[in-house]
Amino acid sequence: MHLFFWREAWRSFQAHRGLALTTVFSLAAALALAGVFLLVSWNAGQALHWIGDRREMIVYLNDDAGEAQVQALQAKIGELYGTSTFVSRAQAWEEFTTQVGDPEILKAVGTNPLPASLRVRLRPALQNFPAMSECAKQLEQFPEVEAVRFGGEWVQRLDALNAGARRAAVAVGLIVALAMVFVLHNTLRLAVLARRQQVEIMIKLGASDGFVATPFVFEALLETLAAAAVALLLVFGLQQALAQRLDGVTFLPLEWIAAFVGGALVLAWIASAAALGRILRTVGA
Amino acid sequence: MIQFEHVTKRYGERLALDDVSWRMNEGERVCLLGHSAAGKTTLLRLITHETQPTSGTVAIGTLRGGRLSRAHRALLRRTIGVIYEDFRLLGDRSVFENVALAVRISGHFADSDVIPRTLRALEEVGLHGKQAALPGELSFGERQRCAIARAIVNRPAILLADEPTGALEPRSAAEVLALLGRIQQEGAAVLLGTTRPEVDDAFGGRRIVLEDGRLREGGAPEHAFMPLPAAQASQAPHAAPPAPPAPHTGGA
Repeated sequence: MHLFFWREAWRSFQAHRGLALTTVFSLAAALALAGVFLLVSWNAGQALHWIGDRREMIVYLNDDAGEAQVQALQAKIGELYGTSTFVSRAQAWEEFTTQVGDPEILKAVGTNPLPASLRVRLRPALQNFPAMSECAKQLEQFPEVEAVRFGGEWVQRLDALNAGARRAAVAVGLIVALAMVFVLHNTLRLAVLARRQQVEIMIKLGASDGFVATPFVFEALLETLAAAAVALLLVFGLQQALAQRLDGVTFLPLEWIAAFVGGALVLAWIASAAALGRILRTVGA
Repeated sequence: MIQFEHVTKRYGERLALDDVSWRMNEGERVCLLGHSAAGKTTLLRLITHETQPTSGTVAIGTLRGGRLSRAHRALLRRTIGVIYEDFRLLGDRSVFENVALAVRISGHFADSDVIPRTLRALEEVGLHGKQAALPGELSFGERQRCAIARAIVNRPAILLADEPTGALEPRSAAEVLALLGRIQQEGAAVLLGTTRPEVDDAFGGRRIVLEDGRLREGGAPEHAFMPLPAAQASQAPHAAPPAPPAPHTGGA
């Protein structure tokens, strides 16, 4: 059933090649903007994820906390917050001496002043500033705990960066969506006008709006598909250029590419169907 | 089947139809005779709902009066075959594609339906050998036949022909009129609009005459109604006029 409409769409695409190519490149420009943003977003997300993985909470223990108490505390932490690793006073000193390295400084420090601690890797849901602050407060209530540190300032910065990225994603998405609607509406209007005689004859023969509109919608989908491919090629080129200068810049994963193309097609479908509903009312009686 | 009740149509200051009342029955053959600008095309356009009456009521089947929704208009037009004076063929489509388009619009999308119906219609009008030609490659007579094939391919209940022999030489004109007569005999109501009395004479059937937008002769069909022979009707069933549940009844 749809073969006829696809044939009609392809026929129109070929008959009005200039208009079709202009549409493809206009859409490609808008989609490339979205693609570049996705590339930045993907790589920033990867970096943030890597940094986020290193978010730890250090729970310093009282010197008089016994082994059984520490194990009980670890069990409680495992139940409520995440995984924990015990670092004894000796291990803490060993790490400290490795980091400092200078024997003169170590001699000045004298005996080991470092307390035993638990390094807590929080669950992903708790890896944000408000949740971490709350966890810290709760942990400080335990009698075995002397203090809790988690680098609140940079956690806040990371959270702000994440929120900013999300807001930017919404803004760029809206801009691209509006650009696509604008391009498709105007292109389809031109396409309908270019085929006005055909549309009028079809309406006189009793064609429903859906019958008349479907080839145009399919044509818009074809153009959007081509535009998405062009945009992805441009973004791939950019990624290759960046990868030569910056380590770790990777291209979008398959799921993101599929979502990008699928989103563009859905948007094109909605935009073209809505535009044609308006345009066809101005053609034919 | 078609009924006009006190229909008046104005285009701005110009009066195209003035208080016209007439009706036409199923399977009837009617010739609408009138000079140029007498209102024939307006009357045909009112039947297809391409325009609305300024006052009065136009009823087609069960669709009575008022402005129809776009969906109902499309439904109505799918039961009416129209042969336009200027053919209205798609210049970039072959003869076959022009006729097949009407079949697809009627709701038959599968090639297994479209191809045989289209070929049969082309055979009926004698264009079987020209199916791959573009309209621009055909003579006027052949284009007219193509337009007729497109109008009859879905076996409409009503066939409207606006000056169908206007561009034809006498022999082609006679063939076209014979073809329209045959379609009427198969069960379709055929309304032919012409400026030429000799066409009316050749076509036969009931005559209605329009003059400066007013009906001068033949508004009612009682003296000319030609009932369809039952055997022929069953051999070639024609599409019934539409009966949508609730046509819009907005302003005229």
